[in-house]
Amino acid sequence: MLDKALLAEVVQFTYSKGIDFAEIYVEEKQASNIFCEDDQIEKVHSGRERGAGIRVVKDYNTAYVYTNDLSRSGLMKAAAVARDAIGGRPSGILQPINLSKIDAVFHIEYQRLPEEVAFEEKIQYVMKANQAARRVSGLIRQVTVAAADVHKKIQIANSAGEFIEDDRNRVRLLVNTVSESNGIIQTGYESAGGVCGWELLEQVAFDDLAIKAAELSVRMLSAKPAPAGRMAVVMSSEAGGTMVHEACGHGLEADLIQKGLSVYRGKIGMQVAAPCVSVIDDATIGNKYGSFSFDDEGTPGQRTILIENGILINYMYDRLTAQKDGRISTGNGRRESYQHKPVVRMSNTLISSGQENPEEIIAATGQGLLVKKMGGGQVNTTNGDFVFDVQEGYLIQDGKIKYPVRGATLTGNGPMALANIDKVGNDLGFSIGVCGKDGQGVPVSDAQPTIRIKELTVGGTMLSNAR
Amino acid sequence: MEQILRSAGEKTLDEASRSGVEAEAFLMHAKELSIEIVDGRVETLIQADETGLGIRVIKNGRTGFAFTSDLSDKAIKDAVHDAISISIFTTQDQYHILPDKAAYPEVQVFDQDTADMSLEEKIEIARSVERSAKSVDMRIAIIERSGYDDLEYCNLIMNSKGLYACETGNFSGIYIFLVAEEGNDAQNGFSTMSVRKAKDLSAALVGKEAAANAIRALNARTIRSGKMPVILDPYVATRFSGIISSMVNAESVQKGKSMFAGKIGEQVASPLCTIIDDGILEEGIASSSFDSEGVPAQKKNLIENGILNTYLHNTYTAQKDGVLSTGNAQRGSFRGFPTVGSTNFIIVPGRDSKDSLIDGIDRGLYVTEVMGMHTANPISGDFSVGAAGIMIENGVLTYPVRGVTMAGNMAEFLQNIDAVASNFRFYGGKGSPSIRIKELSIAGE
Repeated sequence: MLDKALLAEVVQFTYSKGIDFAEIYVEEKQASNIFCEDDQIEKVHSGRERGAGIRVVKDYNTAYVYTNDLSRSGLMKAAAVARDAIGGRPSGILQPINLSKIDAVFHIEYQRLPEEVAFEEKIQYVMKANQAARRVSGLIRQVTVAAADVHKKIQIANSAGEFIEDDRNRVRLLVNTVSESNGIIQTGYESAGGVCGWELLEQVAFDDLAIKAAELSVRMLSAKPAPAGRMAVVMSSEAGGTMVHEACGHGLEADLIQKGLSVYRGKIGMQVAAPCVSVIDDATIGNKYGSFSFDDEGTPGQRTILIENGILINYMYDRLTAQKDGRISTGNGRRESYQHKPVVRMSNTLISSGQENPEEIIAATGQGLLVKKMGGGQVNTTNGDFVFDVQEGYLIQDGKIKYPVRGATLTGNGPMALANIDKVGNDLGFSIGVCGKDGQGVPVSDAQPTIRIKELTVGGTMLSNAR
Repeated sequence: MEQILRSAGEKTLDEASRSGVEAEAFLMHAKELSIEIVDGRVETLIQADETGLGIRVIKNGRTGFAFTSDLSDKAIKDAVHDAISISIFTTQDQYHILPDKAAYPEVQVFDQDTADMSLEEKIEIARSVERSAKSVDMRIAIIERSGYDDLEYCNLIMNSKGLYACETGNFSGIYIFLVAEEGNDAQNGFSTMSVRKAKDLSAALVGKEAAANAIRALNARTIRSGKMPVILDPYVATRFSGIISSMVNAESVQKGKSMFAGKIGEQVASPLCTIIDDGILEEGIASSSFDSEGVPAQKKNLIENGILNTYLHNTYTAQKDGVLSTGNAQRGSFRGFPTVGSTNFIIVPGRDSKDSLIDGIDRGLYVTEVMGMHTANPISGDFSVGAAGIMIENGVLTYPVRGVTMAGNMAEFLQNIDAVASNFRFYGGKGSPSIRIKELSIAGE
């Protein structure tokens, strides 16, 4: 990594008259991934990358320049481009910058770093999971198993004199299965991951993950077409928090609020969800996939209550949006890599657990859809409309789970769905993902208890239930 | 730049040959500019300078891959040895081979005028996109993002079989995301354009298209569920092209992940449907003289009047099927292994006007937006996506519709194409006219 004195020099050089904020972000990354398909190790990748991004802000306008050239001359050249692009003039140094190191409050401990585990061992885990999935049924046609790890070292120094160094490791496991019977094809998908080393395998049994995905794809072969129309939807905690992340979380990001692109604008202190609903973003939960000691601007990761008992309490901020609102950053300024400027992002986002027994929630539902696993989704934050794919769904009739259904999607509106939650379970389930925004992906996790939404539009190919 | 990359490539191949492996070096240098405008001022300006090397080695049918952003002698040596040590653990596969030397078609991918354009001129283009959108209608309330991007790149590929390919190119684009408001309703609009020559960018067209999209969606409502004829706007049709392009991808086919497996020569779509992949299209945004392995790019008729002609191949999938590579090896950057991907992917336009597609529909939907397209399943062909658009009643467009889902299966979708219009438009590397589907399930209330 770079010398602190060089970092100070670059920041100092950029921080000239008229500039509000200057920052350098340095990243050194080593990543590997292993991919198994067709019962064989198809691809193994490994790579090393180093780069730096220099950010200069003036009147809320940003110039961002990045380069792989980490020599002093390379960095100074990039710094000059950034400064000139924003209209800074090399006329005078404002004040000398003395970098002082900020220590982390929330620490993440790592045991088996990616580079300490041999490729051979990682490949064995992948092959074992592949075999476990294939053993589940003769109907399994394809299994893909992937494992990826990354070790990132970062440094951030800025014109406020803040300096941080951080060491981050992540491991992610994925299993995809395809089953076929009588021309019907169904897929199953499971993933797990954390901000951790390969000790992840002590918390998550890779083989079990593979078996679960395989069983799901087989079970869905006997699924009937999903009903279409408006009905009650019970979302199991196993489904994870994709819905809260997409349908609510994005709308609480301060950049979208400030641009007028969120239905939650101007609603602080107002009732935006049912009283049984509380939503929290928390970067400091163990070693979840969205956890961090510092965000990517050097602000310590923290726990932010967004909605409490249905009342909107706070938005998520990065440094720039916080300054605009006269607030302080909530530690939600994140970036994919040195190639990206930080933007407001979630970390681990969850709906808090309630009081009710999950089984009783199903039993109290006359007719509806039970969602055990969500697929992908998309949301329009401006009006709150969303659509989600249901990967594992069951029809509920008279309070009982009847049969699996396939091809269902959930269409609705975020605020309306949150207002329509009428039951909240006493459990909590996490899911992981890579959240995309403004063309950058960052690792996140989402969680929710079992909840019931009184009414949502379920889209399927079976129109018989429709009016 | 070619000299710097070439020298790193030679070092890579030398190091590999000393270690007794076949190798391929993919080198890239890119200069990127991105300007984002808010209220006429430059809110974000990004400039990037990026260099990298991806190394693929093959020994006894085992392949390994490593990348590095550092082109120093030591980093290259380390990366070659990383790739070799990885290859030991991969499965032996006789189809892993490197392509041979070839002659390349002449494709113009570099525009000197774009390269010479000043930053101020580019900022002005970006500003005019925003201005043109705002001038359309008072109801255009928020410009979420608008801007100008360009990229100048030099790609170099060389391998141990003596293949050498190098190309310098550039392209630019503009985009806008905006919101129209009326009463309590807010609707998004978006448009984009990517071209080889910056002078071909039409800020007025993009701004107006985005504004019109948002305004026509205001005060939309849901509709009664039912099966009905559906017309897809060119943009929506290109979203479906994404699914089709993965179905004709030989990698998907060979792994049993495409419903087109074993269907070469069969009628997989309506006779009105012709789809081509043209890697050497003049001024095409995805055009190039060669693909990501250095195989000459070419034009292919994938589906001709509904008959499936060929899949898209790279060297590996072609070898496996006993055919020639179609020049469709693709990698996102130096960080990745070459996979298979489409180039300029085109649903060929017909002769009918868009209006004549609407004529004669008693009750149908003109779809202008789909959400969750990535959830469509290319294996089973099932899709169920959120949709918005305009209701068609008695042969005319009536009120805007939102909050419905559109569901079906790709096999039926393709067979049920019963009209193809002439209003062709590219969105990035995918282009299509409006197309009409005889019947799809629409779920509303």
